[in-house]
Amino acid sequence: MKRIFLSGYAALFFASLAYAQEGTPAPPPMEPQGPQRTGPWKSSPPAQEVVPVPVPIAPPKPNGPVQKSLVRITATSVDPDYKAPWNAGSLQRGVGAGFVINGNRIMTNAHVVANNRYITVERDGDPNKYPAQVQFIANDCDLALVTVPAKDFFKNMVPLKFGGIPALESTVSAYGYPIGGERMSVTTGIVSRVDFQLYTHSSVDQHLAIQISAQINPGNSGGPVMQDGKVVGVAFQGYSGDVAQGVAYMIPTPVMNRFLKDISNGQYDEYPDLAITYAKLQNPAQRKYLGLVDDDRGVLVSSVVAAGPSDGILKSGDVLLSIDGHPIASDSNVELDGERAQFEEVVERKFKGDSVKLDILRDKQPMTVTIKLFKPWPYSIQGHTYDVRPRYVLYGGLLFQPLSLDMLEAYRTSDLRLRHFFEYFILEQIYLVHPDVIVLSNILPDPINSYLTPYKGAIVDEVNGKKIRTLDELSQAFAQAPERLVIRMIGDGPPLVLDRNKVETARERIKTRYNVLKEQNLEERPASRIAAAGEKN
Amino acid sequence: MLVAVSGALARKEPAIPTTAARPKQVALVRVNVTGQGYDYFRPWQKKAPFSKRALGAVLPKGRVLVTADLVTNQNYVELERAESGEKTAANVRVIDYEANLALLEPAEKSFLDGITPLEITSDTVVGDRLAAWQLEPTGALLATEGLVTTVQMMPYPIDVGQFLTYRVSIPMQYRENSYTVPLVKNNKLAGLLLRYDSRSQLLDAIPAPVITHFLREADSQNYRGFPSAGFSFFPTRDPALRQFAGEKGKRGVYITNVEAGTPATRAGLKVGDIVTAVGNHDIDENGNYTDPLYGKIEFTNLLTAHAYAGDVVPFHLERDGKPMQLNLTLEHRDTKNYVSPPYNLDEPPRYYVLGGMIFQELSRQYLKEWGPNWQREAPQRLVYMDHFQSELFPDRNRRVVILSQVLPANSTIGYDDLAYLTVKTVNGKEIKSLDDLAEAVKQPVAGFIKIETEEDPKQIELDASQVAAEAPALQENYGISSLQRLQ
Repeated sequence: MKRIFLSGYAALFFASLAYAQEGTPAPPPMEPQGPQRTGPWKSSPPAQEVVPVPVPIAPPKPNGPVQKSLVRITATSVDPDYKAPWNAGSLQRGVGAGFVINGNRIMTNAHVVANNRYITVERDGDPNKYPAQVQFIANDCDLALVTVPAKDFFKNMVPLKFGGIPALESTVSAYGYPIGGERMSVTTGIVSRVDFQLYTHSSVDQHLAIQISAQINPGNSGGPVMQDGKVVGVAFQGYSGDVAQGVAYMIPTPVMNRFLKDISNGQYDEYPDLAITYAKLQNPAQRKYLGLVDDDRGVLVSSVVAAGPSDGILKSGDVLLSIDGHPIASDSNVELDGERAQFEEVVERKFKGDSVKLDILRDKQPMTVTIKLFKPWPYSIQGHTYDVRPRYVLYGGLLFQPLSLDMLEAYRTSDLRLRHFFEYFILEQIYLVHPDVIVLSNILPDPINSYLTPYKGAIVDEVNGKKIRTLDELSQAFAQAPERLVIRMIGDGPPLVLDRNKVETARERIKTRYNVLKEQNLEERPASRIAAAGEKN
Repeated sequence: MLVAVSGALARKEPAIPTTAARPKQVALVRVNVTGQGYDYFRPWQKKAPFSKRALGAVLPKGRVLVTADLVTNQNYVELERAESGEKTAANVRVIDYEANLALLEPAEKSFLDGITPLEITSDTVVGDRLAAWQLEPTGALLATEGLVTTVQMMPYPIDVGQFLTYRVSIPMQYRENSYTVPLVKNNKLAGLLLRYDSRSQLLDAIPAPVITHFLREADSQNYRGFPSAGFSFFPTRDPALRQFAGEKGKRGVYITNVEAGTPATRAGLKVGDIVTAVGNHDIDENGNYTDPLYGKIEFTNLLTAHAYAGDVVPFHLERDGKPMQLNLTLEHRDTKNYVSPPYNLDEPPRYYVLGGMIFQELSRQYLKEWGPNWQREAPQRLVYMDHFQSELFPDRNRRVVILSQVLPANSTIGYDDLAYLTVKTVNGKEIKSLDDLAEAVKQPVAGFIKIETEEDPKQIELDASQVAAEAPALQENYGISSLQRLQ
C-alpha cells in the first residue's frame, strides 16, 4: 500500500505522522534509515538517559543460542550526491545485524545494505571478517538477503525458523549490535500494537508492522526479534528518545514470508498496489444515498490512479464491499486469519501478476470485478531510491533534474510550486503531462548564465515550442538545438533564452572548472520512460 | 539591500532642533485603541479584545495621522493630550490598509486647539537625518536621530505590490506607545514608522510622498486608494532575453503576465512586450527610472506614489521589435476583485454552516490565522492556491469555497476529519462563491445534499431534513450565533 500525500480523508492521519517526523525538531523514526547511523560509527552517541529496562509481564522463555544464528554486518556505502550528481557521492560506513535462515542466507534490513559498495559479515566466536554480497534487496519493505561466498561460513551456523504474529502483551526479545558495546545485545519488551505503518526506508510504502516496547537502537537494525525460539520479526525503525519513548517497530513474518516468496523466481518484483484512494463509509446519510443497507459494510472509492491496475475497472463513487470474499467493514477493515486488518492487507500478500476479486456497488447495482495487479510507476518519485545513480542533464552550466523525494531533500526547498508538484504528482495526475517534472535545480556560474539565477527552481514546460515530458526529450532537444533555445517554464515567468553556440563554447570550460565528469545521466531509473512509451506494466 | 553611505555625504543640518527652536506644544497626541479582530476559525464570533496605545501626528484641519494597523478592527478610538491627559473620542475618517495609513478626527473639534500642526516635507533623500518623535510618560518629547540609508520600493505589511519606503538606521528606544512614530525633519513630518528591527536597528518608514498621496485623496470626498495596473514584469538584464524580445537597445522590462480585467489588459498590454518608458521616464534594463530626487528607483513608483486612480499613463513599449504606445487608465484594485482577497479588515468573514460543516471562502486573511509563519504552517494546498491565484484562476470572477472544518454532530458522523477541501459542486451546481453554495443547498436531490470536492473523498452526502432538524441543537451546542453570514 502506498502512502498518499495529504489527500482528503487520510490528511489528518498523515499530517500527524508527518508532524512527528518533520515538525518536531527530533529526528524521524529511529533514523536507522542510512547504515551510517546504525552503529557506533555515529560520531557522538545520542544524549539519552540510561533508564531501567522495562520489567516484562511474563519472564521470557529462552530462545536458545541465538549467537549461532546472528551476524554482525558492516556495510560501506556510497550515497549519491543529488546536488552534484556526476560525483560518486559520500562514503558512509554502518553496522547492522542479520540472521541466518535456511538455504545459507542471511536476512537483514534493506537499509543496512542499500547503496553498498562493500560488505563484511562477522559471527560470534570467529575473529574473521567475511566479505559478503547482497542477493536480493526489497527497498519497499526494508528487507534484504545477503550471502557469504566463503566456504564453511554457514557450517555450525543455525538457521532460524519463523513464527507467526505474536499476541499483544506477549514478551519478545530483540538481538543485535546496538550502541553501547561491541558484542551482541539482547533487550526484551512486549508486543504493543499491530498496525499498518509507514516504512521510512522508502518513505512511501506502508505495510503491516508490529510495535514493541523492547529498546531498539541504531545497530539493532536487521536483527531478529524472537519469541519461543522463533523469529517473529526484524527490528527496523522506531522513534528517537526525544519524540516518543519505547516505541520501536519490527517487520512481521507475513512481510518476511512474502519477500521470500517473491524472490523464489529469482527476482524481486516489488509490491503491487490497487492504486486507489478511498474513504470510510460511516455516515448514515451517505450510506443511504449510495443505496447501502445498514450492515456496516463498504468503503467509497475516491480516486483511481490512471497509471494503476484499477484504471478502467474501478471508478470514483464505487463502493467496495468485499475483497477475495472477505467482507470489508465500513472502517476499511477485513478479518484475516482471525485478526482485523485494513483490507489492503489482502493485496499486500499478493504478487505482481496475481489477481484480486472485488465485489462492488456501482450506482446501487452490485458487480464483481477482477483486477490484475502490478506496481504503478508514478509512486517511485515520492519515495527514496537506492542503488541508482541520479538522472540529470547539464547544459550551459544549468543542471536539470527530475523531481523526486531524494532531490527535494537534497535541496531542502520550500518552493511552493515544487512541493505542490511533488505532493500532487499522482492525485492531480501531473505524471500524465510531465512523467518527469524537470527542475532547473542548480546553476554552475559561468559568463553564459550570469543572468539566469532567477530561473532556479523553475519547472521546464517547453523547449522551442515543443512540450518536454521526460529528461530524455530534454536531452534530445539540447542535442538538436537550433541556434537559439527558448525554454518556457511552468508559470508566469519569462522564457529562458540560450544561444547554442555560446553554450558549446562554454562546455569544456564549465566541465573543467567544476570537475564535471559526465554531462548527463539518463540511464538509471527508467520508470518515467515506461510511461512515456504508453505502457502501464 | 542597504546602500552604504559614503563619507562624501556631508552631515546636513541636525534633525533635532535646539531647545530654543522647539515648538511649545509638540504636535503629537496619544491614541488609545481598543478593538477586536474576527475569528476565522469560529467565523461567527470575534476574538478577545485588544488595546493599543500609540501616538498620532497632528495635521492641519484638525486631523490626526496614524498607521492603519493601529486602528484596524477597532471598537473605540480615543485621543489623549500629551501633557494634560485630557481625552476625547475619535472617528476613523479614512483608512488605507495597503498604504498602512489612517486619518482620525476628534469628536470635539476644539480638542486639538493650541497645537501647531505638522507640515509635511517630501524632500528627504539618502543621507538626510530624521528624528523619531516619541513621548516620555510625562508628555515630554523623546527624540532620536537616525540616518536615511536607502530610499526604495518595498512591500508593506499588506503585501499588494510595493511602495516607496525610507530605510533609516536609528537606535530607537522602547516606549509603551511606540506604535505610530512620526519621523521629523526640521519640525516637518517626513515619514511614519512602518516597522523596526531592534537587532539591526533599521527602521522602515512610510515616506512623505505616500502620505501626501493619501492626504490628497482623503481631501476629495471619494477615497479610492492607490492605483494598480495589473501586470507583472521581469528585468531585461539578460541580453539573450532582450534579443529574443526584439529589443535592440539595453533598456526596458519584459512583461510576464497581464491579469484579466485590469487596466493593463484593457489598454492592450501583452505578455512579451518590453516596456521602455512610462510617461516621460525611460526605464532601464533593471526596471529603474531616474528620479530627480532619489536617482535610480523602480518604475512602479511612477504608478503608485506619483499616480492616482483615474490617471491616464502613457506606456512606451516595443512589441516584436516595433515601438508602440499604450495608454493605461489606472484604477484601484478592490479586494473583491481577487479570487483570494489579500486582506479583509474591519469586516466580518463570510461563512455558511451546514449540519456541522463550516464553509468559508479562501482568503489570505483566513490563511494568516495560522500566525506569522502562515506561509509554512497553513494548509499548503490553500497557500498554493492563494499564491498562484492569477495563474490558476485566470478569469478571476470567482471565489474558492472551502470546507474549512467539521463540528461533530449527528448529521456529520464519519466526516469529522474532513478539513480544507475545496468545493466543486453542491447538488450538481457549480460553486463559485458562498452565495452559490447557499442557493444550491436549498435544492436537495431526493432529500440529499450532495457536495463534490476537488480533493478526496470527492463526494459527501447529507440528509437535508436531518440537517435542518439538527440546526437549533448545533447552534446551541457550539454557541453559533448565526448559521450563516453572507453580507
